[in-house]
Amino acid sequence: MKKILIALATFSIVVACGDQNKKKDDQSSTAETTTSQVVNVYTHRHYEPDQNIFKMFEEKTGIKVKVINASADELIQKMKMEGKQSPADVLITVDAGRLSRAKDEGLLQSIESDILEKEIPSHLQDVDNQWFGLTKRARIIAYAKDRVKPEDLSTYEDLVNKKWKGKILVRSSSNIYNQSLMASIIANNGEAAAKSWAEGVVANMARSPKGSDRDQVKAVVAGEGDIAIVNSYYIGKMLNSPDAEEVKTAQQIGLFFPNQNDRGTHINVSGAGVAKYAPNKENAILFIEYLISAEAQQVFTEANYEYPVLESVEPVKDIKEWGEFKEDKLGLNKLGKHNKKAVLIFDEAGWK
Amino acid sequence: MKQAGNKSEAFSLKTRIKRLKRDINKWSVLTLTIVFFLALPIIFIGVELFSGPGETWGHIVKYLLPDYIWNSFYLVIVCSFLVLIFGVSSAWFVSRYDFLFRKQMEWLLILPLAIPSYIVGYAYAGIFDYGGSMDLLFRQLGLEFIRIDIMNRAGLAFILSISLFPYVYVSARAFFLNQANNLLEASKMLGVGERKTFFKLMLPLARPAIVAGLVLVLMEVLNDYGAAKYYGVNTFTTGIFRSWFSLEEPQTAVYLSALLILIIFTLILFEKWQVRKIKFTSSKTNSTQIQRKEPKGVMQWVIFSAVSLPIILGFILPVIQLIYWAVITASTVFDMEFIMISLQSFAIAIVSAIITVFFALLLIYFSKWSTLTTIKNISRIGVLGYAIPGAVIAIGIMIPTLALDKWLINMLAKVGVDSGLIINGTLIALLYAYAVRFLAVAYNPIDSTALKVDNSIPDSSKVLGVGNLKTFLKIEFPLIKTGVFSAVILVFIDVMKELPLTLILKPYHIDTLAVKAFEYASDEMVMEASIPSLFIIFTAMIPVIFLNKLLIKK
Repeated sequence: MKKILIALATFSIVVACGDQNKKKDDQSSTAETTTSQVVNVYTHRHYEPDQNIFKMFEEKTGIKVKVINASADELIQKMKMEGKQSPADVLITVDAGRLSRAKDEGLLQSIESDILEKEIPSHLQDVDNQWFGLTKRARIIAYAKDRVKPEDLSTYEDLVNKKWKGKILVRSSSNIYNQSLMASIIANNGEAAAKSWAEGVVANMARSPKGSDRDQVKAVVAGEGDIAIVNSYYIGKMLNSPDAEEVKTAQQIGLFFPNQNDRGTHINVSGAGVAKYAPNKENAILFIEYLISAEAQQVFTEANYEYPVLESVEPVKDIKEWGEFKEDKLGLNKLGKHNKKAVLIFDEAGWK
Repeated sequence: MKQAGNKSEAFSLKTRIKRLKRDINKWSVLTLTIVFFLALPIIFIGVELFSGPGETWGHIVKYLLPDYIWNSFYLVIVCSFLVLIFGVSSAWFVSRYDFLFRKQMEWLLILPLAIPSYIVGYAYAGIFDYGGSMDLLFRQLGLEFIRIDIMNRAGLAFILSISLFPYVYVSARAFFLNQANNLLEASKMLGVGERKTFFKLMLPLARPAIVAGLVLVLMEVLNDYGAAKYYGVNTFTTGIFRSWFSLEEPQTAVYLSALLILIIFTLILFEKWQVRKIKFTSSKTNSTQIQRKEPKGVMQWVIFSAVSLPIILGFILPVIQLIYWAVITASTVFDMEFIMISLQSFAIAIVSAIITVFFALLLIYFSKWSTLTTIKNISRIGVLGYAIPGAVIAIGIMIPTLALDKWLINMLAKVGVDSGLIINGTLIALLYAYAVRFLAVAYNPIDSTALKVDNSIPDSSKVLGVGNLKTFLKIEFPLIKTGVFSAVILVFIDVMKELPLTLILKPYHIDTLAVKAFEYASDEMVMEASIPSLFIIFTAMIPVIFLNKLLIKK
C-alpha cells in the first residue's frame, strides 16, 4: 500500500513538474515571438462552439489561440492587476456594459480596422474603436401561449400594469442581462421613471427572483406565472435541447418582442476588444476580424442561437421563425455608464 | 489583568516581555515565518480595510445587510443541525456496529463531498423541476405530480448540509475508530447501556473532533456562492460579489469580507473555548480497534437506513440525475480530452493536498515545540483563508506575487534578460493559493488528533535525548496518521472541485474538471456540465477508497 502511495505521489509530482517545464517553454517562446504564432484570449464566452471557431482560426492563420475562461468581472480585475505585464491580447465579454467598463479602466486600446468599422453596425461598436460587438441577443418576453394573448403585451414599461400582478417571472438583479436592461431604461426614461418601473415589476412578480433564464421559462409552463423576461438565445437552446422535456416546455411558450412601436426591443451584444498592453496586437486584430467573418458568424448563430452582427449572415432557422424585430438603437456604451446606478435602483426597489 | 492598577500592569508587561524573550526560539520564529507566508494574502486584504468602504456602504447597510445577516444566520443554524445529525449518527453507526454493506458505506459516506455543492444544487433543481425526473416518474406511474419547490432558503440549507456533512463524519469517525475502544469497555464493565454510553460518554468526548468538522462546514456554508446564487438566496458571499462587480467597489467587497472573517473568527474562538473546557489527552494504548457489535432485529434496519439515508440523498440521487443528463448529452460533450484533463486535475490535487498537509503539520508542530501559547494562537490566523471567498483570495495572492514578479522582471531587465511574469500564471501561484485557501481543511483534523496524543509520549522520547524531528517521525506521526490521511483526502477533494481561484490563477495550458464543469454551468448548460462533474466524482473516488483502506488497515 505504502509503495503504491509513494508511486502515486511521485507520478503526480512528475506530471505537475512536467506541466511546469512545459509552461516555461511556452513562456520563453511567447517572449521570443511577440509578433506571430499566438493570440492570448481572455473570454467570458464559455460556449463549446467558440472552441470550434478558435480551431478554424488556428487552421486558417497558423496563429495559436490560448484561452483563459472566467467571468468578465474577474478577467477585468486580473488585467488591471497584471498591468503592463498582462499577457492578454483580446478581451471577450457577453455584454457591452463590461466592455465599456474595461474601456473606462484603460484596459483596452483603439484599433484601426476597416473591416470591423464597416461591417459592424455603428450602434454595436465603441465610438473610439476600443470594442466591437460580435453577436446580438434580445431581452424578450416569453409568455404562456394558453393563458396570454400577445395583443395584451406591449412594452417593458407596461409590465408594471396591475393586470400582471403575480404573473411576472424574472431572475435575480445580480444578473448582468437584467442590469443592462435596467441601464437601457435609465438611459431612455431617466432615473426616476426607472425606479418606479422597478418597483412596479417587483410588485407584480410571481415569486422572489431565483434560478436561470431557462428556469423562468419552465416556471411559466408550470403555471407559476404567465410571462417571463428572458434572453432570446436561451429559447433557441431549449428548443434544441437534448432533453425532450425541455423541448416540449419551450414549444408551449410564445415570444414577444417588446417596444416595437417605440424605441425597439432591448438588445445586448457579446463583444471583443484589444487589450491595452497586448503583446500580439496584430494577431489580436486578425482574430477579432475573423470572429465577424461570415463563417464564424454562421457558427455563432447556428450553434448558439444568437443574432449575427453581420447583416449578410442569416440567423439560424429557429430564430428566423420568430421574425424580424425593431431593436433599440441606443449606443451600447450607455449600458456600462448606467450599470452601477441600475444595481442601486434594483436594491432600493427590493428586486433581489 | 485589565482591572489591575497601572503599576502592576507595567510590571506584568515587563515580565511578559521578559518571558517572551526567554521563550523565543527557532520554532517560534519558524512558525511566525510560515504563518506570515500563508497569511500574506489575508493580510493584504486586511490592509485594504484601512482605506475605508466605498461610497455605497451606506446603501448596502440600508438595503442589503439585514438580509445577508439573517440569511447567513439561518443557514448556519439549520446546516449545523442537519450536518450534526447526518455526520455524527453515521460515524457512530459505522464505527460501532456491523451491518450489511458497512465497509462500502464507510467510504461512500465521504463521497458527497466530491460533488461541488452548486452541482448538487442544480441536480436537485433538476429532480424537482417542472419536466424534471420526479415529474416524469410520477407521470409514468399515472400520479398527479406535486411540485416541491426546493429553490429557496430551506432548500439551500438542505443542499449544503447534504453535500458537506462528511466533514463532520470524517473527523467524528477518526475519533470513534481510535479512541473509543477502551472507553467503551470501561463503560460496558460498569453495566451502562448502549444509548447512555453514547450520549453521556462518547458524544461529549468526541466534541472537539465533531466541532472541528462543523467549523469547516460552516466556513464553507458561509463561503458558498454558486448554489446560493442559483437558489436566489442572498448571503454575505453573494453580497461580496455584488458590491465588487455589480457596484464596482472592491473596497466595499473587502469590508464585507472582513465582516465575514469576523464571524468566522468568532466561530473559531467559540470552538477553542468549548474544547478548552474539556481538554484532555488520552490513549497511550490507542492501537486497539473498536469492537463492532451486530445489531439485532429492528435495530439492524434502523441503523441500515440511518446510514444509507445520507448516502442516498447526498450521493446516489444527485449522481443518478447527473448520469441521466450525461447520457443524453454524451454525444455532444464527451471527448477523449476529458481523460487528460482528469489526469491533470488529479495530479494538481494530490500535489497541493500534500503541500497543504505539510504546511499544516509544520504549523501545528512548530508552534507546539515553541511552547509559547501566543504562537499557537497566532498560528490560527493561517486557517482563516478557508472562510474567504476564493475570488477574494485570488486577489490577495495576486497583490504580493505580482509585486514580486515585477521586482524580478526589473532585476532581470538589469542583467539584460527580458522576461514575462514568473510566478503569476504558473502552477506556483496556483499551488500557493490552494495552500492558503485549504490550510484549515488540513489543519483541523490533524490538530484534533494531535491534541489527543498524550504529551508524555513525545516528552519521554525527548528526555532520552531524541530530537524534536526524530520524535515526530518515529513516535508522533504514526499516532496521528489517521488525522493526516483524512486531511489529505479532504484537501484533495476540495482542490478537485475548487473553482474561483483556479479560474483566475490557472496557467493557460492547464484545465481542471471543475473549470470544464463551470464553463457549461455558467451558461445555463447544466445538463452538459454533468459529464465533467461525474469525472470529478470518479477521480475523487480513487484516493477516497485507497486512503480509507489505509485508515482501516492501521
